[in-house]
Amino acid sequence: MSFDVQELLRRQAQWQKSRRALSWPEKIRMAEEIRESIKMLRSVPPEDLPEKHQPHPPTSPAE
Amino acid sequence: MLNAMKDSGVIADYALFGAVAQMRYTEPVATLDADVLVEVPSAGGLNPLAAIYEFCADRGYQPEGEAVRVGAWPVQFIPVFSPLTQEALQQAETADFEGVPFRVVRADHLAVIALSVGRAKDWARILALLESGSVTRDEIASLAKRHGLSDAWQRFEARFPDEF
Repeated sequence: MSFDVQELLRRQAQWQKSRRALSWPEKIRMAEEIRESIKMLRSVPPEDLPEKHQPHPPTSPAE
Repeated sequence: MLNAMKDSGVIADYALFGAVAQMRYTEPVATLDADVLVEVPSAGGLNPLAAIYEFCADRGYQPEGEAVRVGAWPVQFIPVFSPLTQEALQQAETADFEGVPFRVVRADHLAVIALSVGRAKDWARILALLESGSVTRDEIASLAKRHGLSDAWQRFEARFPDEF
């Protein structure tokens, strides 16, 4: 199965831009939701965040 | 509240600017507070915003850091601080927000105020306004020139020559 990431990103960008056509009050409400999400993320202690993806396993100094 | 503040004479005029104003033209953006440009009638006092804070406190709106919490938003009041912001306030548009008229800074002034501040997020704001078609490069160049910001505009154009 081929998966065109560029096409996915293009559609995503188009979808994001389509929100420009929303009414100003609707966009303000969305901004409020974005802001609450940011505040919530900032309030999570670092140890409770999911582990960062490690692209390469750490190398042991003994190796 | 802003209209009541103006009617009471605490402020001579106001206009929303920053990200909340930008969202009239662009897609929603992340912002933590709402910025309001204000003209205070008596600028002689040590704190030109004291009357505003007092007006807000009398109506139950409490300070939150440098801002005042109004409903869901910390509102930051910023006195006009340059000929550019003075002009932006004078030429602000009246926009309808669900039946309530709000004074809002125009897109070209938003772009040139962002240009004058010049942080990365301000340049992103200019790009977003250009992309929305609410302002053209020529309009920004003309306004920037009038306010002595041609160099800043040239730097922006050199950095982003092809976008929009």
